[in-house]
Amino acid sequence: MNAPSTTIRDAGVACWQCGAASRGEYFCPACGKIQPLPRGATYFDLFGMPPQLGIESAALESRFHKLSWKLHPDNFTHATEFERNLSLQRCSELNDAYRALREPISRVEYLLAQRGMRREGAAKQKAPPELLEEVFELNEWLDQLRENRAAASGAAPAELLQRLHHARDNFQEKLGSVDAELEKVCREWDRAIAATGGPAAQEDPTQQAILNRLNEILNRRSYIRNLVAGVQTELAGP
Amino acid sequence: MGRVVGIDLGTTYSLIAWLDPATGTPQCIPGPYGSTLCPSVVSVDGQGKILVGEPARQRLLTHSERTIYSVKRLMGRGVADVQDELKIFPFRIDAGSQNVIRVRLGDRTFTPPEISSFILRELKGWAEAFFKEAVDRAVVTVPAYFNDGQRQATKDAGRLAGLEVLRLVNEPTAAALAYGLHKQKRGRVAVYDFGGGTFDISTLKLIATDEGDIYQVLSTNGDTHLGGDDIDSTLMNLTRAEIQQKYSVSLDDHPEAVQELRKAIIAAKHALSDQESVTVRFPLGGTRGADAYERRITRGEFEELIRPIVARTMAPVKLALADAKLASPEIDEVVLVGGSTRIPLVRRTVGEYFGRAPHAELNPDEVVALGAAVQADILESGVKTMLLLDVTPLSLGIETMGGVIAKIIPRNSTIPASAQELFTTGVENQTGIDVHVLQGERELAKDCRSLAKFQLRVPPGPAGLARIEVKFLIDANGILQVAAKDMRTGAQHSIEIQPSYGLTDTEIENMLEESIEFAEQDFEERQRIEARTEAGSILTATTKALQNAGEADLPTAERASIEKAAAALRTAAAGQDYKLMRQRIDELNQATNHLAELVMNGALQSAFEGKRLDDV
Repeated sequence: MNAPSTTIRDAGVACWQCGAASRGEYFCPACGKIQPLPRGATYFDLFGMPPQLGIESAALESRFHKLSWKLHPDNFTHATEFERNLSLQRCSELNDAYRALREPISRVEYLLAQRGMRREGAAKQKAPPELLEEVFELNEWLDQLRENRAAASGAAPAELLQRLHHARDNFQEKLGSVDAELEKVCREWDRAIAATGGPAAQEDPTQQAILNRLNEILNRRSYIRNLVAGVQTELAGP
Repeated sequence: MGRVVGIDLGTTYSLIAWLDPATGTPQCIPGPYGSTLCPSVVSVDGQGKILVGEPARQRLLTHSERTIYSVKRLMGRGVADVQDELKIFPFRIDAGSQNVIRVRLGDRTFTPPEISSFILRELKGWAEAFFKEAVDRAVVTVPAYFNDGQRQATKDAGRLAGLEVLRLVNEPTAAALAYGLHKQKRGRVAVYDFGGGTFDISTLKLIATDEGDIYQVLSTNGDTHLGGDDIDSTLMNLTRAEIQQKYSVSLDDHPEAVQELRKAIIAAKHALSDQESVTVRFPLGGTRGADAYERRITRGEFEELIRPIVARTMAPVKLALADAKLASPEIDEVVLVGGSTRIPLVRRTVGEYFGRAPHAELNPDEVVALGAAVQADILESGVKTMLLLDVTPLSLGIETMGGVIAKIIPRNSTIPASAQELFTTGVENQTGIDVHVLQGERELAKDCRSLAKFQLRVPPGPAGLARIEVKFLIDANGILQVAAKDMRTGAQHSIEIQPSYGLTDTEIENMLEESIEFAEQDFEERQRIEARTEAGSILTATTKALQNAGEADLPTAERASIEKAAAALRTAAAGQDYKLMRQRIDELNQATNHLAELVMNGALQSAFEGKRLDDV
């Protein structure tokens, strides 16, 4: 098992039990006691990997299982309260990290949030400029649909429904190309951090530019997704 | 330290199991009636004695107002939550109940955790009789879809029963553990758990790793108020309406008669799992010229009646699969748990949906307790052969502006799970920040389950200066823990959490103290009363016997020693020491050995008319 040798860069702390120096391992290399989370450790660090966006899910899962086996509170029933609490903290951090990293989208969101570039609800609802015209048209049709439904007849003209279905498929398709674009930029990020041998992103203009693009793509993606979901709800009827 | 067990605290039945180290297999422990099933029924008799299980169930027919069943439906809930239940269940909720329900049984009231603790205590007794050793720690199972309050209430029940609850394990997960152990299978498993009062569906992945087997729950869903009880209610409504219509007999004011009908209904329901038809018979005792209401129910009619209830289980099944990102054919095995899965319609419905015959090799009543015993052994022995990775069934959120929920831990997150939130002040010189924690999937706070409210106290200052980081952590039991840290000083911030439902720590402490004190007090008082009563009858009999005994029968010395012993007993009976009373009774009995013989020989028969011999 290679997981306990996982180290977290730049973290030099002393073991709370024996005082031996550790470099961010989960367990003290000298006495084997469970250690607290080193200051500044990221979710990527917890899995012992660079902050890359292309992650093979089977490998991540297998690492998650190995670490769970070691850190789970089941192992600490007879330990001191301090250690039981450490296990609870470390295991929950591992689960939080796995939750964030296992899906490609949430992985990007985590990377951006960690750099203070992404906040819940911020800048998401603005329509991307190139979509403005189409969105305007769609909203008009949706208004028509609602008007039709409110009217006594209740039924919407087949032609309007067809146009709405077409618009939905159109946006769905756009979502597909946004996802493809996202994948491409993620690969660019991975190449950029590989080239510098680790992320010094705050200062590196190339990396920062990629992060900005990722952020913009995520915003666009979330906008279109809401749009598709909205049309879907309207089509499903009241 | 005593033994460790696994307990399935069920709506209808509860069970206790252990892992036999000799065989390495889990086993359920039978009670005094030979069955491993303890009816989850509690009754209080006229003397205030608490009866649990079979004796309590029998009292449903004779003392229904002093007896409660299906108390699990009330666990962790407030009075407003259970209004619908009250239409179906004869729960006598005390008028003064607020966030904690109090149920009236005779002249006393109890909280649901207390009533559940009586059931746990009974099971603990079964295990202690079996081991001839104390049992003090347990893994207790809960429905996977139980919220924080319901879990906390279950943990409280354990504490009140004198058990340290090592872990709460979700029922379908426990079943999967017992099942996996039995079958040694790998792959994706769906556990369909349809019990007496709750329905759960969980999807799991069983993975073999170098270290051992991992049971990873992918998703869970359910309904904590859907079970065999609802099927019983449907049949009850039908038959009660018919009895009313045909014979103008209303059972409304006859709780015992209702229980009798319910018993007949449940028997009919069970019979319809094997038979094509059954006749429900309910005696009317000649009312309106009829001896009995008799009603034939075919399986076809039964299935039509319960179809809507069975259909209600399928919505959570679909949601669970969607959350696990699985289509029904991707499930390798389907496991059935809970008594209601014996119903052929349920088996058919599940089988058709998944396109494969579900597994039911293990006894659906016992499998949850068996899994709990396996987990208990893992925790106790420290020898880990498998690992359960369970999830939280409901999203955790905090209330934000406008009563909207911000989700901070999504449902189906592997537990333990945590989330940090930074709080600050919005106006100048604000001294407190209110935090409201909720659980649920809806967008608005009013539609979610309130878990707790607390206030972060901050020193007055400019708006936005205070920075308090609150860490919300759901532990391996699925129970929320909250800790706050002042980011400017780094100091831990103390918070007093007011649980929205359920008992506070102080209330539990008080109950625990009371229950121990009462138990001792009750015991001493009972001993005292019994000894005093016995002293009274032996003194009366002795006095009469002495009056009737002639000089020839009873020598003076013997008479003096009897009188001396009688006087000593009289003094002791006036006091409080029941042990001394017992001693004096024994002494008087010794002294009157010869006198008693005379009585038996008939010489003094007249003195003892109406008295039994053993009173002497």
